[in-house]
Amino acid sequence: MKKLVLVRRETPTRGGQPAAFVAGFILALGLGAILLLISGDPVWEVYTRMFERSLGSKDVMSATLNRATPLALAGLAVSIAATMGLWNIGAEGQILFGATAATFVGRIGEDWSGPVLIIAMLLGGAIGGALWAAGPGLVRAELGVSEIITTLMLNEVALRLIRYLQNGRWKDPEGLLFPVIEPRPVQSGLGTIWERAHLGVVIAFAVVAAFAWFAKHSVWGYELKIAGASPKTAAYAGISMRRKVLGVMVLSGAVAGLAGGIELTGTATRLDVNISSGFGFAGIIVAALALMRPSGVAVVALLFGAVQVGGISIQSIGVSSAVSGVLQALILFGAIGAGVLSSYRVQAVERKVVAT
Amino acid sequence: MSHPAVELDGIWKRFPGVIANAGASLTVRPGTVHAVLGENGAGKTTLMNCLAGVYRPDEGAVRVHGVEQRFSAPADAIAAGIGMVHQEFRLVDTFTVAENVVLGAAPRVVSQRAIAGEVADLAQRFGFEADPARPVWQLSMGERQRVEILKALWRNAQVLILDEPTAVLTPQEAVEFGNVLRRMVEDGRAVIFISHKLDEVTSFCDEATVLRWGETVAAGVAIADVDVTELAALMVGEVEAAPSPDRMTEPGDVAMSVKDLTVDDARGLVAVDDVSLEVRAGEIVGIAGVAGNGQRALTDAIAGLESPRTGAISVMGIDVSDAPPQKRFAAGLAYVPEDRLGVGLAPKLPVAENAVMRAYRTLRRGPLLSWRAAREYSEQIVERFEVKVGRMDLPLASLSGGNLQRLLLGRELTSGPDVIVASQPTRGLDVAGVRAIQRLLLEQRDGGTAVLMVSEDLDELLSLADRILVMVEGRIVGEFDAHSATRTEIGEAMMGAPS
Repeated sequence: MKKLVLVRRETPTRGGQPAAFVAGFILALGLGAILLLISGDPVWEVYTRMFERSLGSKDVMSATLNRATPLALAGLAVSIAATMGLWNIGAEGQILFGATAATFVGRIGEDWSGPVLIIAMLLGGAIGGALWAAGPGLVRAELGVSEIITTLMLNEVALRLIRYLQNGRWKDPEGLLFPVIEPRPVQSGLGTIWERAHLGVVIAFAVVAAFAWFAKHSVWGYELKIAGASPKTAAYAGISMRRKVLGVMVLSGAVAGLAGGIELTGTATRLDVNISSGFGFAGIIVAALALMRPSGVAVVALLFGAVQVGGISIQSIGVSSAVSGVLQALILFGAIGAGVLSSYRVQAVERKVVAT
Repeated sequence: MSHPAVELDGIWKRFPGVIANAGASLTVRPGTVHAVLGENGAGKTTLMNCLAGVYRPDEGAVRVHGVEQRFSAPADAIAAGIGMVHQEFRLVDTFTVAENVVLGAAPRVVSQRAIAGEVADLAQRFGFEADPARPVWQLSMGERQRVEILKALWRNAQVLILDEPTAVLTPQEAVEFGNVLRRMVEDGRAVIFISHKLDEVTSFCDEATVLRWGETVAAGVAIADVDVTELAALMVGEVEAAPSPDRMTEPGDVAMSVKDLTVDDARGLVAVDDVSLEVRAGEIVGIAGVAGNGQRALTDAIAGLESPRTGAISVMGIDVSDAPPQKRFAAGLAYVPEDRLGVGLAPKLPVAENAVMRAYRTLRRGPLLSWRAAREYSEQIVERFEVKVGRMDLPLASLSGGNLQRLLLGRELTSGPDVIVASQPTRGLDVAGVRAIQRLLLEQRDGGTAVLMVSEDLDELLSLADRILVMVEGRIVGEFDAHSATRTEIGEAMMGAPS
């Protein structure tokens, strides 16, 4: 009699992981097709439309790039924290507070010239995000409080803060029915570089590339590597874990906050609670799919952006908005599940009857 | 004639860049204690892991009592009657002895008292002293080892694999251990005994199999027919003479002093209790003691990895009591920690990352680190200290114990330290590895370096050290002149007898 068991591979198979991603992606599309059949939607039409409206033309490709921008930065933020074994679940809150801080800068610099104001607002966004993550970083470093809980809770606080500003301090006197925040200064819009794609795309991917390069070639990156691989060894080598934990969280928050600043100046005209469409949470998925490697984040973010843009587009042919979300979840499940499976192999073994 | 208890036939096992077993074979007869000997990297542990179901051999057959087996997990091997006691114990500290013994193998309805009774019976049958109700964290390393063995016996192991079982025992305990081994094989069990201590092999074992470079070079030699030198010759090919401890120079000034040092452990209990000691330039001071008597806390506190409650530490006249580890290293203090893979090295990272861990601050150019310089630096260490590395870009985990220690010691010595604190620097190494490390330490001593060396191997301390301090329950309870002291005297002091 035989039974199937999972056996851990002692050595990972060459090229196993990219292959697993492809397999997982196809599996996710397959499962999605079943879902579409159940919901009564035309599978082929949905998939072709998803493709056409995300990668089918220059125009939609530029929209995909814009969508991928905050995803890449959020994914980078999560993966930076993950190099130290930290979970920054609060990229969403850091994006929101980063956008809030950028708005604040915009209000101060209403009369500044465009380029100066944009740079100031983006810096403000990064600083805001860094501040938002510094608190969790500090209590994690000094007291060992789980950053998962604190960063998650601060998401809600950032959201409430925007609501408060929307109804009070920053309320637009010209808003009619609903309370809205005053629009950012007109000269603070990021210019477009290709079709609809704005300058933030370049900034975001440059930041991802710069971080990947710096992590590989700097003393800081080396120390981070040791600290992430073995905290005790890092202590032995005189690398201060407390400073590293705080530094990594602050940097992670700054990257997420920059995404907030870019969203504000690139795609939005004013701050509101929907300025981040869950980018901070999607960033966790992006980072996980990129195996927490900064170098993989850019690629995954582009793919993910395409799925999101495509997912939104199919709503106009009557597919429920939930399908896009379910497809994202399927890709996460499929690709990560496959990634894990690629380090195992399935084996048929004899059921043994052991005489004792 | 009955089948052999274990037959490993032509076992091949390859890892990236390394062939651990190249057609190794082993036949163990029931009712015997069988020694498996070999240098580090000879493939002993890999071979045993193939038998215990941890690894699957690439080629070759595993037969237990004549039945061919293909284990895909340790649980399969246990079910087939193979029990392995690893060097690192796998016990739950907060559980009692009895709970640990039956963990994962208890009957569905569990009566604490019934199990405690059965465990006590089992222990008595094999001549162990073990109180089933005591929590494991209260036990000495020797007692914990007995719990591990009881675990295997409880699961009805017919073949027991013991990986360096005497490393954690006092000399006296080691002798008793021999009797326990005899009792275990009396009713037809087989014991596979992995050790580097050849005198133990000759006194405890019936037969020996010697591995070299992953191959069996001598199979099932009757111990009665060989002597120690012959076995050693089989292991290393040719026997290297023990390094001569004769000194070239006399000890100089005090290079490191530790004053009134008290260190608490993680539980808030006193681990090091008011210890003061001095080490002179060109002197080796040994710390003897049974494992777990505060040695690790002492060396960690000296290196700056633990903050002591009270006390002062100075290196070459500089007070480093409050200095972080890298400042102490810069002041001339090198540290070889007991836990090489957990503290001294980062096994997930490749050679270069590990080799530059001390020097990267000097290799930097502004915020950047030149990896070309780092790789050159590590290649120098690898070359000078004869570290055998398969591929430079693979994680360290693929190196053998002896090579890991060469890399670690090489990294620490390259900067020319004034003081070396070395904790268990030769533990778990093969004869050639032990000799190489010992020779390096003696060279350092002759070069005027002060060496503080913690070892559980009394013979090693007696042959290398100038003075031996005995540590019991965090205190220094005795000081001996290594040239005139006897094993018995020191052994008694280690057991806590007043000296």
